Amino acid sequence: MKISENTFDVIVIGGGHAGIEAVLAAERMGCSTLLVTARYSRIGEMSCNPAIGGIAKGTLVREIDTLDGSMGKAADATRLHFRMLNRRKGPAVWGPRVQSDADAYALFQRNYLERKAIRILEDEVIALEGSTENPEGIKCRKNGVVLGRTIVMAVGTFLRGRLFRGQSEWRGGRIGDIASDNLEEDIRRRLFHVERFKTGTPARIVRTSVDTGELGIQESEETDFRFSTDRKDLPGNREVCYLTKTNRNTMIAAKEYMHLSPLLAGRIDGIGPRYCPSYEDKVVKFPEREQHNIYVEPMGYRSRIFYLNGLSSSLPAEAQEKMVRSLPGFEKAIISDYGYAVEYSYFHHTEIAPSLRLRRTHNVFVAGQMCGTSGYEEAAAQGLLAGANAAGIVKGAKQLTPSRGNSYMGVMIDDIVSKGTDEPYRLFSSRAENRLHIRQDNADRRLYEFGKSLGVLSEGKSLLLELNMKEAAEIETVLSESIIERCQAAIWCRRPGAEAERLAELIPTLSSFSRDRIFSVMLDEKYSGYIRRSMKRDESRRRASSVNLSSITSYMEIKEICWEAREVLEKAKPRTLAEAERIPGIRPTDLEGLLLHLAGKRSTWNSSIKKETDQ
Amino acid sequence: MRIKVSPEIICAPATPEGYSALAVIRVSGKGSLDLIERIMSLKTGRLRGMRRKLGVISDNGKVIDEVIAFSWPAERSYTGEEMVEITCHGVPEIVRGIMDVLVRHGAGKAHNGEFTRRAFISGKLNAIQIMTLASKWNKGNEKGNISGRFGRECEEFINQIEKVKELLEGDIEFGEAHLDSERIAILTELSSLIRDSEKLIQQAGKIEQGQKVFLMGPVNSGKSTLFNILAGGKALVSDVPGTTRDGTRRNVELRGRKVLLCDTAGTGGEGLDIQASKTVLDEIQEFDKVVWMSQNGKESAPEELSSKLPEILEVASKSDLNQVSKKSFEENGKILKLSSITGEGILLLEEWISTSPGNMSLAGALDRTVNHIVNAEKFVTGDEFGIASEHLNEAEREIRSILGKGENLTLSVERALSSMCVGK
Ligand SMILES: Cc1cc2nc3c(=O)[nH]c(=O)nc-3n(C[C@H](O)[C@H](O)[C@H](O)COP(=O)(O)OP(=O)(O)OC[C@H]3O[C@@H](n4cnc5c(N)ncnc54)[C@H](O)[C@@H]3O)c2cc1C
Repeated sequence: MKISENTFDVIVIGGGHAGIEAVLAAERMGCSTLLVTARYSRIGEMSCNPAIGGIAKGTLVREIDTLDGSMGKAADATRLHFRMLNRRKGPAVWGPRVQSDADAYALFQRNYLERKAIRILEDEVIALEGSTENPEGIKCRKNGVVLGRTIVMAVGTFLRGRLFRGQSEWRGGRIGDIASDNLEEDIRRRLFHVERFKTGTPARIVRTSVDTGELGIQESEETDFRFSTDRKDLPGNREVCYLTKTNRNTMIAAKEYMHLSPLLAGRIDGIGPRYCPSYEDKVVKFPEREQHNIYVEPMGYRSRIFYLNGLSSSLPAEAQEKMVRSLPGFEKAIISDYGYAVEYSYFHHTEIAPSLRLRRTHNVFVAGQMCGTSGYEEAAAQGLLAGANAAGIVKGAKQLTPSRGNSYMGVMIDDIVSKGTDEPYRLFSSRAENRLHIRQDNADRRLYEFGKSLGVLSEGKSLLLELNMKEAAEIETVLSESIIERCQAAIWCRRPGAEAERLAELIPTLSSFSRDRIFSVMLDEKYSGYIRRSMKRDESRRRASSVNLSSITSYMEIKEICWEAREVLEKAKPRTLAEAERIPGIRPTDLEGLLLHLAGKRSTWNSSIKKETDQ
Repeated sequence: MRIKVSPEIICAPATPEGYSALAVIRVSGKGSLDLIERIMSLKTGRLRGMRRKLGVISDNGKVIDEVIAFSWPAERSYTGEEMVEITCHGVPEIVRGIMDVLVRHGAGKAHNGEFTRRAFISGKLNAIQIMTLASKWNKGNEKGNISGRFGRECEEFINQIEKVKELLEGDIEFGEAHLDSERIAILTELSSLIRDSEKLIQQAGKIEQGQKVFLMGPVNSGKSTLFNILAGGKALVSDVPGTTRDGTRRNVELRGRKVLLCDTAGTGGEGLDIQASKTVLDEIQEFDKVVWMSQNGKESAPEELSSKLPEILEVASKSDLNQVSKKSFEENGKILKLSSITGEGILLLEEWISTSPGNMSLAGALDRTVNHIVNAEKFVTGDEFGIASEHLNEAEREIRSILGKGENLTLSVERALSSMCVGK
């Protein structure tokens, strides 16, 4: 059937990491779907580095996998190098990270979409069609109007994308790609609040021009770790990563051209201190530090291109050449692609609801870079949720968001929706209050329930996860009933260095379970005291947040809070403190003021809050 | 002429009602500077920064008074907002007249403690400071120091914890990118935290356990009788050796709190008898308490004493000789009426004595703090950075609760605020 004669349940715009998960999620929920993307050949492309995972991000990939997404499968199937980051800092902060073959990764995703019979249209979307409250579909450059009940926008860094290197500037969402100028114009015309962010990427180097004998080597860890619970066979191909350090000359080269940097001309203090995307930024921020680590990562198996992780730059080509050639082993390096920066539009957080729907519309969702985040994993997780919630509208299901206390996904969504961000948002483990619970090893158990109620799990996945849950419950029972070394097994697990292998030796009934599963339950035991406390705090915060504000008839009269806050609150009329907390622009001091005000009114609330805090 | 200003501006007399040489009216809130410039007919901008300007305030062309306005920018003022203090002559009609002009130009009359409340809300004062202020003012004396040293040290300690947290979190998040773990640096910082926290504990111990309560006042005001009531049957130890000639002392436990109760020699006639009381005055520390007794509250505590410490309770003894209202202490918050015969007021007095500053157990909270830091150290060594971080968070939470910045800050502060008068 011709595209134009259909009305699709869910139309997804953009075949990046967010779009892929979105369209797949909607498909799993039984919707008719269409993926519209500018170029078929660049679906699933890793625009930046050829790696998936990392601290917090790796855990997020496992959460995506639990919700039956494809990122974990693709990362497993194309991995060349694996490391469990923070190995020596405790399992609570472990971060699995793989180096993938970038081309193979994109190919895997494309094939996966084909296998799921996702309909793909290669075209550029230039506008939403119809009213802003309730668009009927999209308008494409070549194919005209395509109708859809719901729409997920995931066009990444393309919204009026502008690329920069030195003093040159040109249009594009990524090197060699279009810029979505028309779509951005349409969005602005509909008076959505959009803002601009910038990010950058390093130069790529011709492998044979580098003397790798000069570089340090980081071997892959040999474990049978998988992101995905389907535990498919891992590929046998391996690559090593190389390591080098910047030096004085790198810094001098950067400084020499600093005045030509497009990023530093004006925006330098907009970028957070802990997250430095470009090398020239680091030079400005840590002027006393000459050495920065550079990881040299092959873009693929026996790829002829190296990626220079840590040397992102948008200085002119000449400067990049000098910087690269200052690195030991890179004296004769040839640059195949120069680094550059991209500036693009994204939606201000006040436009986005926790389901990732655009608040002013009934049926348009956004995900990925467009929500102000950066990173493949962050994009994929949002894509999955946006796709599922779009499908939910079609199916008449409830809109859902995972909770902050139970997943990084929940932490991220809550952060971007309620707080917003003044730099591209990246997930950090410290953003989670309940970090000892939100681990990579228990993602399957944490999110099974959520996946089930979202309706995004295929039947096979659902069965598999159920089995995992059952096994974990069995192990838990055994632990609570066994005594080993004159100690209850559950308590034994808290000993430093307690290992699954040893436990399975001591308790033979456990030997049939996988060591990973046993270890995961052991960690639950080990951290249980802390997790309980954190949950209790969460609970009491929630209860304090459920403080009823209905006795307040006019916020304009409340002297304890500042004038601006009064206006904002008066407009929003929150019913509880929690709701007040979520209103953008409300600061903690305003909440204290509200509490003071209520305490001042000497209502019955006084005694009730006191009892709670006494507990 | 009417000038529109936001009702955010508040004003109130800051000096007691009645005739005096000078009186002060405080004005605070965004736009205060503009407002005062207008009513004093000053050129715009004259009061920007910390300024002092002479001028005239008139009402419909009739001069009310010649005044001096002192201005503060938000960053430097008591409330954390723009602020002006108008000093005029201490005549009730003048003060009222100026207040009327202010109100007509859109300022609101301040509620009890509203200036301080704003200082609290803008983060200028913490809970301890407010409660200290409250008790100071309940005595009716605005001079003397705010005993904020301990609070400042707690703040500094929080900063240190945050520094270590930043190191630790940075290492968890970016350790791999830097290759070299910061473990050693983290451990070094943690042990210096432990050292510092022990110092804090000692101080808190001094504040709480070592607290002395002095009974002072003119001869024959009933101090010794009160001493016997309070110490009677409650003495923990026999009289402390080395009792000074100016009184007797006893360790007593009131409502679960140990204090050293000190009777002093009475002062004779006017003021404090320097001879007899000099030693006592030297001994009193900022966290000690003084019960100043005089017959029917006729004589108030002398300046030397009230300027020295925040916690003074004035007691009118032998109230059974007069008719007194039972709730006088709660009601006027100033003078407690007490009778050794009927026992009136004794319970309230005991309560006052037994409450520690800020109404919290400082030593207990600090003790838990150190514990958490020691644990954090243990878990960094034991390769569990995630757990170490939890302990640091807990440590910070404990200290914050002392400063009243924790989750249950509101009530004691509110109580303190509502006991203040309008100009504060
Ligand atoms: C130069 C550069 C540097 C980066 N640096 C970093 C970094 O340092 N750290 C980091 O974490 N991340 C970085 N990234 C970001 C990372 O690539 C993104 O976070 C991630 O790819 C976002 O996924 P997405 O699905 O939102 O968008 P993308 O992966 O960008 O996918 C967008 C898709 O939408 C399609 N599309 C765009 N417009 C239209 C349209 N109008 N009609 C139809 N299809 C359209 C595109 O063809 C593309 O397939 C960088 C990206 C770039 C380009």
